[in-house]
Amino acid sequence: MGASVAISAVGSAAPSLRISAAAIGEAWGRSGGRSVSAVCAPDEDALTLAAAAAVDALAHADIDPSSVDGLWWGCCRPPFAEGPSHAVLAAAIGLASHAGGALLSGSPHSGIEALLGAADAVAAGSARTAMVVVSDALVPGLGSGFESRCGAGAAAVLLSADGGSASISARVTRTHPWLDRYRGDGEATTRDLYDARLFREEMFLPPVQEIADHLSALDVRAWSLPDPDGRLGRVVAQHVGAAIVSSADIYGALGDTGAAAAILGAIGAFDVAGPVAIVATGGGRTTGILVTVDTPVPGATTVATMIAADARDATYSDVLRARGQLKPAGEQIPMGVPPESALFARGADEMLQLLAGKCADCSTLNTPPSIHPTCIACGGSKLEPVGLARHGMVHTFVVNQTMPAPFVAPLPIAVIDLDDGARIMLQVVGDGADLAIGDEVDLVLRRYAHERGVPVYGYKSKKRAVERTSTHATRSEKLTPPQDRDGARNLESKAV
Amino acid sequence: MAWNRVAVVGAGLIKMGELFDQSFEMMAAGAFNAAVASVDKGFDPKAVEAAFVATQRGTLWGQEGISGNTVPTAIGLAGIACTRIENACPSGSDAFRVGAMAVASGVHDLVLVIGVEKMRDKSTEEGLLSRAASGHPILTRGETAPVLFAPFATRHMHEFGTTREMLASVAVKNHHNGSLDPYAHFQNEITIEQVLASPAVCTPLHLLDCCPQTDGAAAVLLAPADRAHEFTDRPVYVAGFGVATDHPYLHEKTSFVTLQATVEAAKRAYAMAGVEPADIDMAEVHDCFTITEILDIEDLGFVEKGKGGIASLNGETALTGRIPVNTSGGLLAEGHPIGATGIAQLAECWWQLRNEAGDRQVEMRNGLALQHNVGGRGSGVSVVNILTTNR
Repeated sequence: MGASVAISAVGSAAPSLRISAAAIGEAWGRSGGRSVSAVCAPDEDALTLAAAAAVDALAHADIDPSSVDGLWWGCCRPPFAEGPSHAVLAAAIGLASHAGGALLSGSPHSGIEALLGAADAVAAGSARTAMVVVSDALVPGLGSGFESRCGAGAAAVLLSADGGSASISARVTRTHPWLDRYRGDGEATTRDLYDARLFREEMFLPPVQEIADHLSALDVRAWSLPDPDGRLGRVVAQHVGAAIVSSADIYGALGDTGAAAAILGAIGAFDVAGPVAIVATGGGRTTGILVTVDTPVPGATTVATMIAADARDATYSDVLRARGQLKPAGEQIPMGVPPESALFARGADEMLQLLAGKCADCSTLNTPPSIHPTCIACGGSKLEPVGLARHGMVHTFVVNQTMPAPFVAPLPIAVIDLDDGARIMLQVVGDGADLAIGDEVDLVLRRYAHERGVPVYGYKSKKRAVERTSTHATRSEKLTPPQDRDGARNLESKAV
Repeated sequence: MAWNRVAVVGAGLIKMGELFDQSFEMMAAGAFNAAVASVDKGFDPKAVEAAFVATQRGTLWGQEGISGNTVPTAIGLAGIACTRIENACPSGSDAFRVGAMAVASGVHDLVLVIGVEKMRDKSTEEGLLSRAASGHPILTRGETAPVLFAPFATRHMHEFGTTREMLASVAVKNHHNGSLDPYAHFQNEITIEQVLASPAVCTPLHLLDCCPQTDGAAAVLLAPADRAHEFTDRPVYVAGFGVATDHPYLHEKTSFVTLQATVEAAKRAYAMAGVEPADIDMAEVHDCFTITEILDIEDLGFVEKGKGGIASLNGETALTGRIPVNTSGGLLAEGHPIGATGIAQLAECWWQLRNEAGDRQVEMRNGLALQHNVGGRGSGVSVVNILTTNR
């Protein structure tokens, strides 16, 4: 590990739906417990969450995405089982086309693999700035114990060779070829543990406690610990005498976020100087690292805001529909342009990168370039591709209530005047019930469709809840009361 | 001075509706035979030299290869010159303009212009709604037909205080007119309350703000003006026409309270006919949605910009109003079989000019009628035709 690898900023994201274990239990005719899990809306998935976390980290670092040398993405379940998952994410967050990096996948351990892979690249000098993104939106088996634990979320960490607020100061790994949670080729859902006692005694506690013991010798201030069943996190916390278990906040608010859990559970603790220990396990591997925080890391304090903001309570059937587990009978008519087609190749990429053709003569932004070989304002033919602003105002809008499958009504669509003067028409996140002319919107990545089995991504507009100046105050009011969060932390240090 | 080189000597259509029992060919024959039968002094069908066929949704089952050669065989005229015209919702009105130019050029004397459209051979979801996913893979996703006009309603309401009641008054008037039209798809009266209470289709437009999906066909017969009296003592002349385009995509529009293509097409048609908006006695305009008619009557110069809603509510466009609009019932009640729509509107103008419109006849002071369509991703192209009894 080169001493020059620093963490310069972090980011985080959660999906828009929440489901209570009670609602899941009710569907199965049993008591469900008190936990809550985060679930993706139909237009969200592991890739859109990853993009949101990455954009958040870039904003906190205040750097341009084109200066990032590589993207390391850890995700159990990348949206293209085989396909351009990494490339689509990189394009969507605006990385340069020469950016490198890797997609690490296959288990919840892949998140820490992404962080260490990126750190090694910076230490080796092959990247000066590296973006680490960890995200997941797993799909549990219906009626399984995992169903009420299965969550979704994302975290991003920007690593830099040019200094920052924190550094990775230790790492330790143990490998055992054991099977725990599993999903086979062609299986839609993640299988639950085969035997909870076997998992606890033979697969989980021995390596996790061994790794945690190594780290606990290093005067750890806060811990991010795996908690696959809602109990084992507390067992490990008690074993090492942890005072602050920041991951408990994330498990409590979002559920098990898979490959995102270890890092998402840690970055909230990057707000105070001191060592933070992170333990990740899964896929037969357990790794611990120590992050030494020198000064508060930009973005760390917003993790609490993120987990408390903008969530909607969903019913069990909302969740099943969103995950594609509840589908109408009959043949679904293929819609739109096949994602493998030339039209798609010409048209989708420019929308993913939010490109316009800027007229060399009159500076008009022609959106998008593929349909504008000639400037719409002056007829000029010299057009240079440029990125569009990602914030604007609603000029006019509709809420489409009559849509053929696979569209889901109500579907708001708005004509937006962007800050750079370009005009664009995009779908709007949500049901549009409170949309009005003049509303401020941000452009956010969403999954538009599963077209002939292929996920299709593009930007949508999302209404800002309140004006920029008062955002902080309003969001603070929505935060989980401090005593609740402390309560969650204290639970971790109690004996079980 | 009006152009007046071409006369309309016959016009006919079939009863519009969901014509599940009629093929494309049967509808074409029905409209052609009706047009032939309408000619006062008789017309030998074999005299038709050329036909222009308007049909827009040429992708429906069994029509994938619809072209100029489909109609002549259906109407017993295999062998004549025949060309398909596709120009979005103004396909029919543009085919009329092209047919008139063919006659005026002297290349052909007797020309058939016919519009035929099957809207209901595919299920609702596979038909017009499927355009929700057509075009650019992201930019136009979710853009069903009402999405093309509802943003104008939102903005018109915002800028001018237009209300849903004002929009609804258009549907109420056109349904009333349709109740007097034996060819109309819908022949029932409705109330403002019914329009307001109908289900939301694309906010702020509700079900009764929207035209139906209609199968239909319409035909007109054209002849040189100086031969018109061979066929009738009451000819109707083509006074002028105009076509104009606008940027097709919604985000390319500079205004959401004006359809610029209509403004330009109207300007050209008025100039060609040598008339002003105030000279027009009645108009058949494109009312695919209630908001569209409000935009039309403003953009065609019948009412001041922003006053279309209140003018409609106040009855200025009713049969007895200052400028009767959509006496046939319009697209909202007579129906919108896309390629046939413009030609059916021209047939209504022809009847009104000849005082043959029965219970929906309006007073023709100047002998001038205007027909208008707009379409093509909503409002990318507009056609205006002006007919007259003056020579």
